[in-house]
Formats: sequence, C-alpha cells, structure tokens
Amino acid sequence: MIDFSRVQKELQECSRDMEASGIKVTPVSDNLVNLSGTIPGPIGTPYEGGIFKIDITLPDGYPFEPPKMHFVTKVWHPNVSSQSGAICLDILKDQWSPALTLKTALLSVQALLSAPEPDDPQDAVVAQQYLRDYQTFLGTARYWTETFAKTSSLGVEEKVQKLVEMGFPEALVRSSLEAVGGDENLALEKLCSG
Amino acid sequence: MMGDHGNSEDEYVYVSDDDDDISGVDDCDDDYEADDYDDNRDEFQAVDVSIVTGPSSKVITKESLLAAQREDLVRIMDLLSVKEHHARALLIHYSWDVEKVLAVLVEHGNDELFAAAGVKVVEHDDGPSSLQFSSTVSCNICYDDVSATEVTTMDCSHCFCNDCWTNHFIVKINEGQSRSITCMAHKCGAICDEAKIRCLVGARDSDLAEKFDRFLLESYIEDNKRVKWCPSVPHCGNAIRIEVDELCEVECACGLQFCFGCSSEAHSPCSCLMWKLWSKKCQDESMTANWITVHTKPCPSCHKPVEKNGGCNLVRCICKRTFCWHCGGQTHDFYGCGRYKDKDVEMDTQSAKRDLERYMHYYNRYKAHTDSFKLERKMKKTMHNKINKLYESDTSSKDFSWITNGLNRLFRSRRILSYSYPFAFYMFGNQLFKEDRKKKKQRYEEEEEGEEGEKKKKRQKYEEEKKKNKQLEDDMKKERTIKQDLFEDQQQQFEANVEKLSMYLEEKFESYSEDKFKDWKMRTIALSVTTDNLGRNLYEFIETDLLGCFKDADHKIAPYKSKGVEKASEHHSSLGI
Ligand SMILES: [Zn+2]
Ligand SMILES: [Zn+2]
Ligand SMILES: [Zn+2]
Ligand SMILES: [Zn+2]
Ligand SMILES: [Zn+2]
Ligand SMILES: [Zn+2]
Ligand SMILES: [Zn+2]
Repeated sequence: MIDFSRVQKELQECSRDMEASGIKVTPVSDNLVNLSGTIPGPIGTPYEGGIFKIDITLPDGYPFEPPKMHFVTKVWHPNVSSQSGAICLDILKDQWSPALTLKTALLSVQALLSAPEPDDPQDAVVAQQYLRDYQTFLGTARYWTETFAKTSSLGVEEKVQKLVEMGFPEALVRSSLEAVGGDENLALEKLCSG
Repeated sequence: MMGDHGNSEDEYVYVSDDDDDISGVDDCDDDYEADDYDDNRDEFQAVDVSIVTGPSSKVITKESLLAAQREDLVRIMDLLSVKEHHARALLIHYSWDVEKVLAVLVEHGNDELFAAAGVKVVEHDDGPSSLQFSSTVSCNICYDDVSATEVTTMDCSHCFCNDCWTNHFIVKINEGQSRSITCMAHKCGAICDEAKIRCLVGARDSDLAEKFDRFLLESYIEDNKRVKWCPSVPHCGNAIRIEVDELCEVECACGLQFCFGCSSEAHSPCSCLMWKLWSKKCQDESMTANWITVHTKPCPSCHKPVEKNGGCNLVRCICKRTFCWHCGGQTHDFYGCGRYKDKDVEMDTQSAKRDLERYMHYYNRYKAHTDSFKLERKMKKTMHNKINKLYESDTSSKDFSWITNGLNRLFRSRRILSYSYPFAFYMFGNQLFKEDRKKKKQRYEEEEEGEEGEKKKKRQKYEEEKKKNKQLEDDMKKERTIKQDLFEDQQQQFEANVEKLSMYLEEKFESYSEDKFKDWKMRTIALSVTTDNLGRNLYEFIETDLLGCFKDADHKIAPYKSKGVEKASEHHSSLGI
C-alpha cells in the first residue's frame, strides 16, 4: 500500500541536496518502512552543533497518511517529550499534506527547534521552564545537546587515523570501531584488551 | 420575532379552546392516538394554514431527508451563486443554519464568510487549459509523469493525478472526514468538489462512494442544531426538524413524544438537567434496600390492603370507605395533601433519613400520577366505545369531539402534574443550588493557579464574595420558601381539578338522560377550560418566578401547549424531488 516508488524518489532527491540542507534520510530495513533521519541543530539555538537522530516509520497509507517520527537523540525542547522523544507538530498530525515529503517534514522539525511553541507543549515541565526561567532552559538545552547530540566531534576517518597512529593495524581499527558503533574510546578499550 | 410567534400561537390556542369547547365545533387535532393518525394529519395541516407562522416541527423521513437537505443547499447555491460542494461546506460550517449564513454574509461579506468555512471560490477557466497542450503532466505527489487526461484539477487550481486524488479521498473517507475533504496541496485547505470525489472514488470502490454519500446526507442531521434523530427504539428512521429557536417537545410520526433538548421523554415543567438528575436518582434509589415500592395501601378504616385501579387518586376500599391515595385523608380535599411538611428533627444524624423522606414524598406523588396516566390512557378505548354508543342513540347533537378534547386535556395535565413533582424536588431543594456553588468554587480554584501575589488578592476577593453571597443566598432561601408556598397552592389547585376531570370522565355518561347528559357536558367542558388555565398559570409562574433563581445552570423548559405536545407535520419538499 505504501507508494515505494515515491519513497525511492524521495530518498534520491534527499541525498542529492544533502550538502545544502544537512538533512539525511537512510533506510533502516530493506522494506523501506523504517527509516532514520538526521537533522543538524539550527545555528543560533542551544541545539547548534548537535546532530539529532529521528526515527521514521511509514504508515500503510503513506504519503496519504503522515509519517510517524520521534527523536532518538534526547532533546530538551517544549514540543518534544524529554522522555520518549515524541514530537508535537501539526504537520505530523492533522495538517499533513501528501504534497509534503520526508525531507520537508524533517525541515519542519528543524524549524520547530528554532521556534518552540510553549503554548502547545508536548513536555509540560520543559514548557514551564521555557516560560518562567528562560536562562535555565537555555542552559539545560545546551547541556543536553553537548551530552547527547555530540557523541563525538570527530569523523570516522579521523578516528581511524588517530588509532592507527597509536600503532594498531588499520583493518583491525576499522572492524573494532564498527563493532562498538563508532565510539573511539570503546574501540581503544577493545583494541587494548586484544 | 420569536416572542411574537409564541404569543400569537398562545392566543390562537386559547381562543380556539373557548370556541370549540363551548360550541362543540369539531376540533380533534388534539386527538393523538396512532390509529386515527391519518385523518388527523389532514386536520393538523388545515390548522397550520390558520397559524401564520406555520408548524414548529416537521418529520423528516428517510425518503424526504435528501430533499430536505437539497432545499437548503439550493437556497445557498442560488443566493450566493456557488457550487453544491461550496454550499455544503458553508452549511456544515454554520450547522445548516441558512439564516446564520446569510447573517454572516450581510455582516462580514463574501470573503470572510467563505474563508471561515474553508471555501475557495476561484474563477476557473473551464476552457482548454495549458495542461492539455502537453501530453503528459508530472504529478507532485507520486512524482510520476501521467497523461494529461489522467489528472484532475480542483477549484483551487491545484492539479494532481487521478490515482493520487483517489488514494487521498479513500484515506479521508475512512478517517470519517467525508464532510470536509480538503485539497492535497500543503496549506491549501480548499474543500474538494464532491462530484469529482464521487466520480473518482466510485471508479475504484463503489461501496465506499455510497458510504461517502451517506456521510454527506447524515451531516444534515448530525451537524444540524435544528434537526435530531427521533430517539425511538427500535429506530423509526425519522428525524425531526424544528422551525423555532426555543426549546420544545415534539411528537414524531411514530407516536413517540420527546424533549428536543435532551432527546429523552417529554418532561416539562422539569428542565433537562432536573430530569437527567431525577431519572438517575430514581434508578439509584430503587436499588437501595430502604426503597420499597408500595403497590397497595392499607385502608385507614379496615386496614385491608387496597390496590389502586383507576386514574383517580381517591380510592375506595371494599368496606366502602374512600380515602386519598397520597395521604390517607378522607375527602377529595387535596389542598394540603401534596404539600411537603418538613418535620423538625435533629440535624445531621437525621438528615439522611430526612433526605430520603423528602425524596419519597416527591417520588410517591410523581409515581402515582405517572401510574394514573397509564391507567387513564386505557380509558381511550372505552371512551371510543361509549361515544359510538352515543352516536347510535338519538341525541340532538352528533358532535362529541369535546369529550376527546377533555380526555386529551386530562392526559396532558396528568403528565404535567407528575413532572411537577421532580421539578419541585429540585426547585425547592438544595442540590442544584449547591452545584451552582461548587462550580463557582471550581472556577476559583482554576484561577488560583496564577501568580503568588495575585493569588492572595484573589483569595481575599473570593472570601469577600463568599460572605456577600452567603447573605444573598439566605435572602434567596427565604424568598424561595414564600415562592414554594405559592407554587404548591397552584399545584394543588391544578391537581384537584385534574382529579375532578378524571372523575367526570369516568362517569357512565352514555346511559344518562338527556338533561343529565347536558349537565355533564357543561361541567366537563367548564372543567376542561379551567384545568387548561390552571396549567398555563402554573407554567407561567415556573418560568417567570422560579427558574430565574438559578444563576449558572441553564434551566429552560418547553412552553405550555394547551393541546399537548405538538405533532410534527410531514416535510414536503418545495423542490418537488
Ligand atoms: Zn500522482
Ligand atoms: Zn488546492
Ligand atoms: Zn419516531
Ligand atoms: Zn429535555
Ligand atoms: Zn376498608
Ligand atoms: Zn379523585
Ligand atoms: Zn391526600
């Protein structure tokens, strides 16, 4: 029922201008039902510098029904649940239009990060803090971005190079990094333990 | 305008009563038995003509539903020169209130009217569009290139391929949004042409296209403030449309009488809220152990159980002693019988018992009159036979409609009487006033969630207001006690007359001599008129002097009708469909 040919075209189109938009969508499973998206935190916000991962599930009726999205990366934001990552955004609900795409939806999520709507909150605690103590809110949001949205500032190639320089063989470095999900510290531990 | 309507009808009814009852001119539209419904309907319509404002309610059958809806659609289409789906979108948005649509049009103009309902009327060039010059078009939804003949353009000029439109419509219909399917373009919001929806969906799934039409049709009833399904079970298939803005009670063609406000049985002079609370209370109380329904009562003279077997509340034991079913009194002196005498008992410990006693007092009278009503309804048949007998005898006048009129007045008045007890239970009790107070407190507590400094100020203000209100309430309580006395005077007087009317009608008049019959006729007609006046006065007192006491809850009652609950006339389409 999902229009897979459209999803394919969407993915192609998205990867074509990834450089410009910074938005990335990749399939998680072969069936194109589960996808993963990432958006860069908007500049000039406490989310700047972070990379936010979003889990995407396509319903049967896609694109005539909205895609289901939630943050995998923890975010401190009035319209995102700090617990579950659920997003409160009209275009993901009744304002969805089949003319929108995964990319435009993710762009809207990114825009939501820049312009919170505390009057229609998903997370009441965050919204209260946003309204009553904006400075503390900024601090918490920044801290969460540092802690959860920036697991590592280095690219894979840089990590490989760093570990090779320490004297480990490149093939082993690559396989170790892959095994621990790209975390250089864990990879080092693994390499040292033999 | 509404007020005028009420008055003119009142007058009309009043005058006709005097006339008909005294002169005996045929007037049997009072007669609402199902078996003679057909002759009746003609009478009823004849009467409609004489009331300039027309009947206040109409029956819409399954068959006339489409026509009734089309009438409103056509009116809007003609007046605004818009297409059917635009007219429908407007009417759905304004709850099928044609007057309201026109009022908004006059006040705010076309643009605002359309925008509010999501209607986009675009001057659309129906000639060959630029699309048809190129053989293929790219659809912005599926990203496929499709033949120019395989696309559909809506009024908003957004164009997508037929497949995508169809998918979109199917999703929306299945989501239950048939009444307002909008264009697929982001933020467009224009309502789609229903003819195009029907055509595209029908091509793929004809059952769903039918479902779509049914949803549109039902919107006329479900989104319409003036139309309601008849609450009959099993459902008779009819809906009732009222032509007036005020709360009323109606009778469907299937014979069911109901309150248009809450769709339960006709319950005036109880307000809808009172009736809701009362029905629930009766259900709750009937389940408690201390509640025993008494079907018989001991005779005050020989103590044998006596069963009530007629509508009259003055019962007769086999020992020949007659006594009042309510209070055991010896005579038909009902003044004082229906009054509630609050006994002086210790506070609190006794209060539960007192509450129950109070409830029982009102319930017993309510139940007695309801039972009387049921028993008296059975008189209908015997009365029919009696009248037939009269026809065969050689009396000078062959018109006996005044007898049926009297009987119908008895039915109507009996119902009013029974509902007047739950009314009094709430009107002169504390529960509803307590709820008024509770709401006030709730509102205060909601407000309290504000700033700390403001909180204090608000609390002070609330305490002050509470003190003031307490004083006001005390004053009101005193006033209510006086009003209760006045109300009970009227209620008891009404009750006495109803009982008397019931007794008169139970007489064996068919075997009376001509003189005795004439006397009986005069007595019955006079009593019928008096009862009518008393009923009207009771309503007037309730509406003007009593219901105004409630501040928060909206207590409105259906107005008094001499002829009882109005039978809805059949809807006849002016379009001839
Ligand atoms: Zn398409
Ligand atoms: Zn459009
Ligand atoms: Zn019915
Ligand atoms: Zn009601
Ligand atoms: Zn006895
Ligand atoms: Zn009696
Ligand atoms: Zn009595």
